[in-house]
Amino acid sequence: MTIDPETLMAYADGELDEVAAKRVERAIAEDPALARQVEAHRALRARIAGHFAPIAGEPVPERLRTMIGNNAASIDEARARRSRWTLPRGNIAAMAATLVVGLLVGQAIDLNPAPVADRSGTLVAQAGLERALDTQLASEQPSGAATRIGLTFRDKAGAVCRTFEAQALAGIACRVDGAWQVRQMMGAEAQSTDYRQAGSAEMLAAAEAMMADGPLDADAERAARDGGWR
Amino acid sequence: MRAFERDLLALLPRLRRFALSLSRSTADGDDLCQAALERALNARGQWQEGTRLDSWMYRIMRNLWIDETRARARRDRTFAPEEEGLNVGDAGDRQIEAAVKLGDVGRAMDRLPPEQREAIALVLVEGLAYKEAAEILDIPMGTLTSRLVRGRAALMAELGEAA
Repeated sequence: MTIDPETLMAYADGELDEVAAKRVERAIAEDPALARQVEAHRALRARIAGHFAPIAGEPVPERLRTMIGNNAASIDEARARRSRWTLPRGNIAAMAATLVVGLLVGQAIDLNPAPVADRSGTLVAQAGLERALDTQLASEQPSGAATRIGLTFRDKAGAVCRTFEAQALAGIACRVDGAWQVRQMMGAEAQSTDYRQAGSAEMLAAAEAMMADGPLDADAERAARDGGWR
Repeated sequence: MRAFERDLLALLPRLRRFALSLSRSTADGDDLCQAALERALNARGQWQEGTRLDSWMYRIMRNLWIDETRARARRDRTFAPEEEGLNVGDAGDRQIEAAVKLGDVGRAMDRLPPEQREAIALVLVEGLAYKEAAEILDIPMGTLTSRLVRGRAALMAELGEAA
């Protein structure tokens, strides 16, 4: 009686029903080589599983946990607003200060329309943010602009990237295929200057890490805009 | 916190493990996890209560990873003429990092074709039943088992656990 490799493996994994398992057991009893293969399957499985098991025991990075926590908070907050409850001011500030990307894409918060959309898995700027990235020059932006552009530079793949800061959102977007893909995103909270400064330093560091060679000066920035950011 | 978020939080350790076994690098794995969470939180309306949240999340993550690897392949092709040296250097660095972090098993997983690796990750690492894994990967059972057999044979050869 021959047992094909798939069936033998399924037996080793406990995937066979009783009848099929009995059939394999009879074959194993007659052929020690089959028994060794079953052992090898089980040893491999234990080794692979054991190798990755510690990852599931590690503490989960805070940024992943807060994504879920903030999502819950934003839903609760939206519900509270609808029912005209007032949350203590500090609470709202704290939530806003820890805003992360999961919140900002089409979630129920005060960004209408959302400045960022998920276009088949890629985050792209839209609405006011897209317009600012398209048209605004850092050297001559109005002081009351809703979105402020910081640095403009080329990344290592040659794409034009720009740092931006809006009321509830700051980050870095790069021009790819005619759209501004958002590469970095951090929450910004206008009232909380501490956070804003920390955010700016973080953003500068992120921008520097992405740059091919230094930020564009005002003339180069204008030339890049007039050339359609290519 | 509602049940959806609570269950998602509880799943996080397993999701990180799956992400790492797909991407073979801690940084890529956590980025993948983050992208999958974003996708899930935005698409939570599409998750049907009463179905398995873990299968749904594994599927999201796996599809994102396929998109990412395709995008990387495209980028590498696009910039190959000018930046060949650079890209080769990057790939080398990634491999070294992965190898240091992941050891023999990680290196052996690294050498598997992606379709065998994802089957191995779901069944051997995550402990899913064949049927569940086949549903997540959207392939017939027979395809799943043949990928598992070939993937395991390659791992055994690599790791010296000849059957």
